Amino acid sequence: MALLETHGLTKSFGALTAVNAVTLRVEAGAVHSVIGPNGAGKTTLFNLLTGAFPPSSGQLFFDGKDITGTPSHRVAHLGLARSFQRTNVFPALSLLDNVWIAAFARNVSRRGLTWRRAQHYPETTERARSALADVGLAEKANHLAREISHGEQRQLELAIALAAAPRVLLLDEPAAGLSPDETRKMVALVRALRGRYTVVLIEHKMDIIMNVSDRISVMHFGSLIAEGTPAEIQRNPDVRRAYLGGAAA
Amino acid sequence: MRALVLILAAICVLPLIVRPAIAAEIWIFAIFGLGLNLLLGYTGLLSFGQSTFFGSAAYVAGYLLKHHAIGLPLALGVGIGIGALSALLVGYLCVQRSGLYFIMLTFALNQLFYFVAYQWTSVTGGEDGMPGIPRPAILGIGLTEPLHYYLLVSALFLLALGLMKRIVESPLGKILQAIRENEVRADAVGYNVPRFKLAAFVIGGAFSGAAGVLYAMLFGIVPLEAIGFVFSGNVVFATLIGGSGSLYGPIIGSFVFIWLSESMSVVWARWPLLLGVAFVIVVLFFRGGVVEAWSRLWRFSKRTA
Ligand SMILES: Nc1ncnc2c1ncn2[C@@H]1O[C@H](COP(=O)(O)OP(=O)(O)OP(=O)(O)O)[C@@H](O)[C@H]1O
Ligand SMILES: [Mg+2]
Repeated sequence: MALLETHGLTKSFGALTAVNAVTLRVEAGAVHSVIGPNGAGKTTLFNLLTGAFPPSSGQLFFDGKDITGTPSHRVAHLGLARSFQRTNVFPALSLLDNVWIAAFARNVSRRGLTWRRAQHYPETTERARSALADVGLAEKANHLAREISHGEQRQLELAIALAAAPRVLLLDEPAAGLSPDETRKMVALVRALRGRYTVVLIEHKMDIIMNVSDRISVMHFGSLIAEGTPAEIQRNPDVRRAYLGGAAA
Repeated sequence: MRALVLILAAICVLPLIVRPAIAAEIWIFAIFGLGLNLLLGYTGLLSFGQSTFFGSAAYVAGYLLKHHAIGLPLALGVGIGIGALSALLVGYLCVQRSGLYFIMLTFALNQLFYFVAYQWTSVTGGEDGMPGIPRPAILGIGLTEPLHYYLLVSALFLLALGLMKRIVESPLGKILQAIRENEVRADAVGYNVPRFKLAAFVIGGAFSGAAGVLYAMLFGIVPLEAIGFVFSGNVVFATLIGGSGSLYGPIIGSFVFIWLSESMSVVWARWPLLLGVAFVIVVLFFRGGVVEAWSRLWRFSKRTA
């Protein structure tokens, strides 16, 4: 049984079909990458998977349950956490608060919501701190998010997703806009997530993809045109034509 | 801690400098500002309709005080309840919109309440206001003595401040700030953003309601202005001058605002001009209001010392 599954998922914006009848199965524990040229519909697919907006048609299953049309804040409670392609943090809050907010959201009980001091949630704070430590930002816990470098903000972006202790982690180009050095760090981070989480990864950089993926789905003009292991994808002539040959060359 | 000491000192000193009625008005207005600032400073929602909750509470509790001789605790409870309830209603209609539409809607609904109060003369007295609101004694202590009432108001203000401090330091306070910073991410990590905004409205409304009842008992009347847009604007104004980024900003703002308006209006009819100037200075140089100006001065003096 796949942990995350879609059947004919479609999203149209007016005349544009950004995601076209996508049927996808993400196995528990796998690192499943989604690649495709700019504008292929990858981010839109993530928006559908997380309930940011409802699909025009098709269905979405998480852990065997139909969650089509569930709003994003509820999807988050089920254990789907995402990071964003464009850094999307809480600028004027400390790094610790950034991840604390995400960690607290997953608590089943919200006891003391309006009353108890935030420090008096040791488990939540612990989870928040360890998410920061996972991405190497533990020392900067008290800095404000807007004060750290772009590379560090990308790491924070990932930490916010991790703090939710998710069952599925959706990463949208975690290495976007990073220097070669920072990219290497990020690749190491994503590699370290293998086995701990089920990961769906969007990425442009081929070396990262080939390096960390168990399976790869290729999107082109909103549709899936191929799926397979990294080796199979590299050999696939359609993929070469649509992606490797054209846009990425 | 230092803030608390300063506030306690101010509570003691204030009635020696200004009339007790004005001193009480400052703390009442500060409670009103605390409620607004949960929306404005913490949640990032500019409500231009706070007098809806203030005025509704003042009218309802005032009416019951006047015609049914209810006790003071009940009057306060009713005021807080009406403030919260009207905020629930207004908030429910407003939290789905954003930006200018949100602000305009809070304003428009405020106007709606205002016109109801204006027209419903048999109850509210319309333009003449609702006079004859008594100050019932509490625990056998009469409150007609201005200083007694001042002490009650001060105590309730401290209670309100302590409550608000707990709220903004609680998870709810953090979540509201997260919503202010980035609604999309707050939603993505699992918070029902409109629901939390509504919570901020209701809590803010409860504080406004408490302030409204205290105001009605202070002056013995609910003037029509208590539910008017000028009043809504004043509390925004005062809070911005004091500094919306801090828990204490609205308190300082209330100080500056009431003190200026009471002391200057007798000597100079055009005193609002001063407020205008203060506001321009805040907008241009000190976005964080007096609180920020002060902390910058503090840092500057430490560096030069
Ligand atoms: N909210 C929206 N409204 C209208 N059109 C949209 C919206 N979101 C995305 N699109 C369009 O859908 C198409 C797919 O966009 P999407 O962002 O999903 O691509 P992508 O594969 O993530 O591209 P990139 O690699 O550049 O991030 C694009 O043509 C885009 O302009
Ligand atoms: Mg994208």
